[in-house]
Amino acid sequence: MTRILLKNKLDECIAAWRSAGFSVLAPVRRSDLSRFEEVERSADMALDLVLTERTIKDHFFPQTEPLIKYRIKKHDIDSQEMLPPDRKRVFFGVRPCDASGLAIDDPLFGWDYRDEYWFKRRDNAVIVTIACTASDDFCMCTSVNLAPDSTKGSDVILRPLQNGNGWLVEALSDRGNALLEPIASILKDGSESPAPPASVPPRFEVDKVMEWLADPANFESHFWKEISVRCIGCGSCTFLCPTCHCFDIQDEGDTYTGIRRKNWDSCSFPMFTMHTSGHNPRNTQSTRWRQRIMHKFNYYRGKFGVNSCSGCGRCTRQCPVDMGITETLQAITNLPK
Amino acid sequence: MGIQEQYISEAAGLLSSGAVKLVIGYSEGSTEDRRRPVFVRTPAEAERLVLDGACVANLSTYLINEGLLSDGQNVAIFLKPDGIRSINILAAEAQINPEQLVIFGFDIENGEARALQGRKASDFTPVVEAAKAAGLSPELQKEAERLEQISAAERFEYWKDQFSKCIKCYACRQVCPMCYCRRCIVDVNQPQWVNTSSHTLGNFEWNIVRAFHLAGRCVACGGCDRSCPVNIPLRLINHRMAKEVLDAFGYYAGESTDQKPVLATFRQDDPETFIL
Repeated sequence: MTRILLKNKLDECIAAWRSAGFSVLAPVRRSDLSRFEEVERSADMALDLVLTERTIKDHFFPQTEPLIKYRIKKHDIDSQEMLPPDRKRVFFGVRPCDASGLAIDDPLFGWDYRDEYWFKRRDNAVIVTIACTASDDFCMCTSVNLAPDSTKGSDVILRPLQNGNGWLVEALSDRGNALLEPIASILKDGSESPAPPASVPPRFEVDKVMEWLADPANFESHFWKEISVRCIGCGSCTFLCPTCHCFDIQDEGDTYTGIRRKNWDSCSFPMFTMHTSGHNPRNTQSTRWRQRIMHKFNYYRGKFGVNSCSGCGRCTRQCPVDMGITETLQAITNLPK
Repeated sequence: MGIQEQYISEAAGLLSSGAVKLVIGYSEGSTEDRRRPVFVRTPAEAERLVLDGACVANLSTYLINEGLLSDGQNVAIFLKPDGIRSINILAAEAQINPEQLVIFGFDIENGEARALQGRKASDFTPVVEAAKAAGLSPELQKEAERLEQISAAERFEYWKDQFSKCIKCYACRQVCPMCYCRRCIVDVNQPQWVNTSSHTLGNFEWNIVRAFHLAGRCVACGGCDRSCPVNIPLRLINHRMAKEVLDAFGYYAGESTDQKPVLATFRQDDPETFIL
């Protein structure tokens, strides 16, 4: 016997969570862009999308975020931290790749110090994932050892019913169990079977890729120049990525008062990690693209034991010149031994 | 022989004779309806070239890559009329030497690629003249007029909403052949002239700076609009600026390789309606 959430009970479900003090965020399509936003009713949700154009990462690590307010006085400085408010949030209708992205980034934000701006939001969030029953030409979760019904990073997973009327509900964490309490009377028991997960064909062999990247002889390979020649150096792939996490710290204000902000940065940009001396450790697009691939499939794994890619495919889906991680990793897979 | 076969064979010939060092064209993309830029350096690789109605990108943006043309060698490139106009502007602004280019001109009509006669930038003067005579895009004009009809306050809200989506990935800048500054004003950081933050003010700053820099230079290739990952209708901004310079100065960007840049030239009969 399993529990079922019927689609026609979704509004009751949202209302119950809202009265329990949660904001409910779900995929919406507004002003010609799909993204997660707060919703008050199910009619505003766009649950039929394969994937939103923007990731839920935006709600944990926003593109620009104030860190502290400061005022420089004659003999000292006043500063005040600007931590995000305590706000309980349910993310409803997250895709497994985006949920996995959060779990992939957690160790990074908690490694040498605990990034309270990330964890304050993470600790107050409950991730309700809907397993995918549809995919597109760019989905590649199965190539990075995930799946259209992966539970990584999720607190609750919903599996669409075969008949399309609702979802099988499974709590995966304490936080997930707690979230189901306010809606216990809305769920019903049932034995319907779930629809089969989407079929996502393998795009590359990640083990072969990791082996090739780990070989120091390949670091200066001509491959990097060939594969990246058409990269125009925008940050679209990095900024739409559910796991990319590089940022830059900037002070905005006048001589005496201002706000210190954390802004997204991208390894695609020529200014990325440029030194004050003027030296640029990665002064060509090919070395920057190599950095992106190496970071995701070699360095990150070395440090945190996991690849920094959850296979959403946005990097390729949105690339102005039809590049992306998939093509590079396919090319590495197909290199002659 | 169709246009694709004809151009492939000619491109292979140019590469094998050493007349060009490189051919910039299109190849098949990651899905059936996608075409991607390709850099062909050997006659054998020319077989990868594809030319059909899906080849929409303005490839001239690659010509401003640092060092691409500085060795004096020739490059062949596939260009639509908008790309040919871009070449004219880049030449007029002393960024490239058009004599180094062999142009495989084409246009898309009813979803199919059609060859344009000529190989040198100057050969395409009739094509550009015809484009000028046809005027700015009526579809864009219609779309832009819908925005003109609402009040200024409503229009401001519209753009505020659109710019709030901007994430400063700079895809619009990177894909644009007119954005050739080695260091964009937003990257000048000693001091930081323009906020790097992607908040509403920062996004307004960026998009307005770019719109002004493109006035009288944009050829409406649509690259920025197609590349924008958050679907900001950048075409409408650029169309409006193109219309301003056309109405005020009778100026159509990219007419020839020696056309004087409109905002860098003074004529005694320039309209002075905005000067007291």
